[in-house]
Amino acid sequence: MTSNLQVRPMAEWSRLRGFANLFHKESRAWWGTRRWWLNAMIWPGLIGGLMVNILFVPTFASVANPAEVERAGGLTGYLAQMGTGVLFEFGAVALAIGVIVLIQDVILGERQSGLMEWLLSQPVTRPAYLLAKLTANSLAVLVLLVGLPASLGYGLLSIRLGAAFPVWPFLMGVGAMILHTLFYLTLTLALGTIFSSRAPILGLGLGSALGGALLGSLFKPLLYVTPWMLPKVAALLANSQAAPPAVLWAPLTAAFIWCVIFSGVALLRMERMEF
Amino acid sequence: MVLSDQVNVIETRQLGKTFGAVQALKGIDLQVPRNSIFGFLGPNGAGKTTTMKILLGLAHPSSGSGTIFGLDVVRESIAIRERIGYLPQQPRFIDYMTARENLEFAARFFFRAPSASVRARCDEMLELVGLTEKADRPIRGFSGGEKQRLGIALAQIHSPELLILDEPAAALDPLGRQAVLEIMERLRHQATIFYSTHILDDVQRVSDAVAILNHGQVVASGPIEQILSGKDGAVYTLTLRNAPPNFAARLESLPWVTHIRLSEQNGHATYLVNVADETAAEAELLRCALADPAVTVTHFSRKKYELEEVFMEIVRGDSHDF
Repeated sequence: MTSNLQVRPMAEWSRLRGFANLFHKESRAWWGTRRWWLNAMIWPGLIGGLMVNILFVPTFASVANPAEVERAGGLTGYLAQMGTGVLFEFGAVALAIGVIVLIQDVILGERQSGLMEWLLSQPVTRPAYLLAKLTANSLAVLVLLVGLPASLGYGLLSIRLGAAFPVWPFLMGVGAMILHTLFYLTLTLALGTIFSSRAPILGLGLGSALGGALLGSLFKPLLYVTPWMLPKVAALLANSQAAPPAVLWAPLTAAFIWCVIFSGVALLRMERMEF
Repeated sequence: MVLSDQVNVIETRQLGKTFGAVQALKGIDLQVPRNSIFGFLGPNGAGKTTTMKILLGLAHPSSGSGTIFGLDVVRESIAIRERIGYLPQQPRFIDYMTARENLEFAARFFFRAPSASVRARCDEMLELVGLTEKADRPIRGFSGGEKQRLGIALAQIHSPELLILDEPAAALDPLGRQAVLEIMERLRHQATIFYSTHILDDVQRVSDAVAILNHGQVVASGPIEQILSGKDGAVYTLTLRNAPPNFAARLESLPWVTHIRLSEQNGHATYLVNVADETAAEAELLRCALADPAVTVTHFSRKKYELEEVFMEIVRGDSHDF
């Protein structure tokens, strides 16, 4: 019955056995379904739409505060600052919410349906399973949720300015937004390994994204050890605005450290998970 | 150490599993012979699925040890999983993929091969489980029976040496069950099949050996014939018409008869005769009855237990040595 199968043994690092196949599967869940084009329309549409409203609709310019316009070096500079504010401040929070909603089911859904049990009964290591989720989803999120709106935003800002928006400051702002997005992605993945219902995953993630800045304003030191100030930092960096180094670097460093901690927690939880 | 010619594919020694205060497995010893179809029986909650999950590395044992192909189930789980196929109790696969894509995906965990070869192998598996016509449909619309059959194809995609099937026919209608049993029969000569079930008719039909688990303990295990011969050794059924009142006493006087149970119905007396010497019983028991010319023998046979009888007796009584 067996076919004359000419096979080659798998050549994978044993600690990450199964990674390539799982990465392919996770990527396909984005790029092989309608998910990619839905997200490719929603996020640039939402953020770009708001930016168009601010940058090009005369009504907004007509109600601008003259003092702020003067501080920004003219109406065009003022509108560009407002535009970057929408992209990096509103955008970062909106994308965090998007990431939480999109990723909350990535681990929990497979756990609850029994798919994870079947996948882990294959010659697959648990770090490979988690890393495939992390890398494939990060890639899709960064391209569709961050890359596309940022590219569109850059184009809109440049059109409004009548010249290319300064690239390096803009890229630094995008970098801060990426870190902010990855913070929520790793947090949601880690929560998916800890909780067995969606309520705490969504509650903790959304609570941080929506209420974090408010909590930070009540207790300022929190802003330096959390990513809650990152949307503001991203806008400051993009606009080349001056700020104390601690304001810029502390939340960036903290967010990076949190990403590593959440990934480590998720890995530990995966290793201990039983079915 | 991996022994390819090992007698037992699976061996566990005092394997235990505790969930909080609940002892799900109380030190089970299991030996699954190579190339057997091994039925793992027990009532719901007996610990069958827990045992399988420990063997697959999906749960960690609290005590004891287990080996598959001589490899430790905890430390060498990946090497074990390369050589086994698993069908979960409620199979769930990637529902946005077609049956063929799921098979190709599963194949990539085990080997790299030219795509034409992989496709041929997938076709072969689809044919094995009778899903050729549905190969290119997303499995989202598959029935429970079709998913179960696809699950077997997925488990078999790399021609594993051992198939672990958790309740492969539990949720199926009679036709679906029949199909799954036929597939298992077809795979008999290619792999060892270790499967759990509570459908005793199926076990009796296809299994070579069984183990019965109750309250987290193996209460009986061995070849199916041995289990079906009962715990009381050889038993013969003798049904007579016009049996004299002292016939039971005559039988009891025979040196190789160990026990007699008598039941009477519609003028027929049925004797269940436990014997210590099967040869003597087969040579003399019938002759003993026919020695009396008034007696008519209406039935004489060696009693064969139905698995259900044995199972119920064991599970209610809880501990028997076969």
